[in-house]
Amino acid sequence: MTFFQILEKNGWYFFTTLLSGWPATLTVASGALVFALIFGLVIALMRISTWRLLRWPATAYLEFFRGTPALVQLFVIYFGFPDWGFQPSPLQAAIIGLGMNGAAYISEIYRAGIESIHRGQMEAALSLGMTPIKAMQHIILPQAIRTMLPPMTNFSIVLLKDTAIVFSIGVLEVMALARQLVTETLTSAPIYLMAGAMYLCVTIPMARLAARLERQRQAWQ
Amino acid sequence: MLELPQIYAENIHRWLPELLYYSLMTLKIGFFSFIVAVVFGILVALCRVSKNRLVRTLAIWFIEIGRGLPIVVILYIIYFVPPQLFPGLNWTWFSDFTGAVLGLGIHGGAILAEVFRSGIEALHKGQREAAMSLGMTPAKSMVYIILPQATRIVLPPVGNYAIGLLKDTSLCTLIGVNEIMNGAKSIAFSDYQPMAVFILVAGIYFAMSYPLSLLVRALERRLSTAQ
Repeated sequence: MTFFQILEKNGWYFFTTLLSGWPATLTVASGALVFALIFGLVIALMRISTWRLLRWPATAYLEFFRGTPALVQLFVIYFGFPDWGFQPSPLQAAIIGLGMNGAAYISEIYRAGIESIHRGQMEAALSLGMTPIKAMQHIILPQAIRTMLPPMTNFSIVLLKDTAIVFSIGVLEVMALARQLVTETLTSAPIYLMAGAMYLCVTIPMARLAARLERQRQAWQ
Repeated sequence: MLELPQIYAENIHRWLPELLYYSLMTLKIGFFSFIVAVVFGILVALCRVSKNRLVRTLAIWFIEIGRGLPIVVILYIIYFVPPQLFPGLNWTWFSDFTGAVLGLGIHGGAILAEVFRSGIEALHKGQREAAMSLGMTPAKSMVYIILPQATRIVLPPVGNYAIGLLKDTSLCTLIGVNEIMNGAKSIAFSDYQPMAVFILVAGIYFAMSYPLSLLVRALERRLSTAQ
């Protein structure tokens, strides 16, 4: 059978099966994003702290997670943690793994955003009697968001694309279902191309959005 | 957690040589796909700034698709799809290694094309005009005037890309290339020591990528003071 005959016969079946993988893909991506947003802020605040005891572990964390592949981190969490008595489910391992990995990258976005706000803002807030945490919460971060939004959007795209590796620890997302379909029907070309097209339908509009946010930010400054 | 040092003391003389042997494959993939990516990147960047609209549009498509697809998906498409689309051709030369290098190279080409374009566009228009008014052809002014200066600008982002590429080679295990992750999986599951083995692998990757990232940072500092 040629490519198009296969597509005509099984195309709809491929499409609906692949589509049923998207909830898992989006769960992993959004779970990891929330994890990374929270944990990344902690790392960023530790990194800009004046206290070495906070700064050094954060820097070590950052260097380690940016210096090793996400796949290895996932394997350590999914296959390694049971050695220490914690057996995560594939979904949990994927969210923790990509989240911890993402926290390292996102903390640098936070840091650049915080550092883009003039020092005088922090000094003014402190001289008004705010605590450093309050000043961060009410003065610095709200202003930094505008600078951080475009790179955060770009990072979300990266995160979404990274979820395509979590089938290797057994999460039933788009790529996992694609592979299952290939074993089932012994045809690969239409399935992988369709999966690819689905990713593009999400990532390209997101990239456009990131570019637009960036232009708006530049116009605003 | 306490027994890890003991596990390493007992097994490292077996594990490390084997993993280092596999890491040669990782470096080989990284090296070749870097070259493919740079070649693709330059070609696509030149097409991207071309005056011909068709060429420009094709370049934009290449960049959007190459950057929009997850690397795993690119690897799967490059490795599995062409032999099935054109079954009549001779595919014996097309190994998992070739697929890995091509796949990573195409993804890298899309990333580097944008890096190179911003490098070319960062230069003042006057440079090109001056070169043209001296009687250089557009190709000559590109080779002798624009590209040498753009190289300095793009060096740090290209370095960062190389670091990312080194880590991304780990994905080649998913199409069955015998690189370090593949070796690690077989050791980890035959010896029932996944934690110890995968942490060791993380250490090996770190040992390869960290010097590279220190180098890029030093380069960034030097180039920013030079300006």
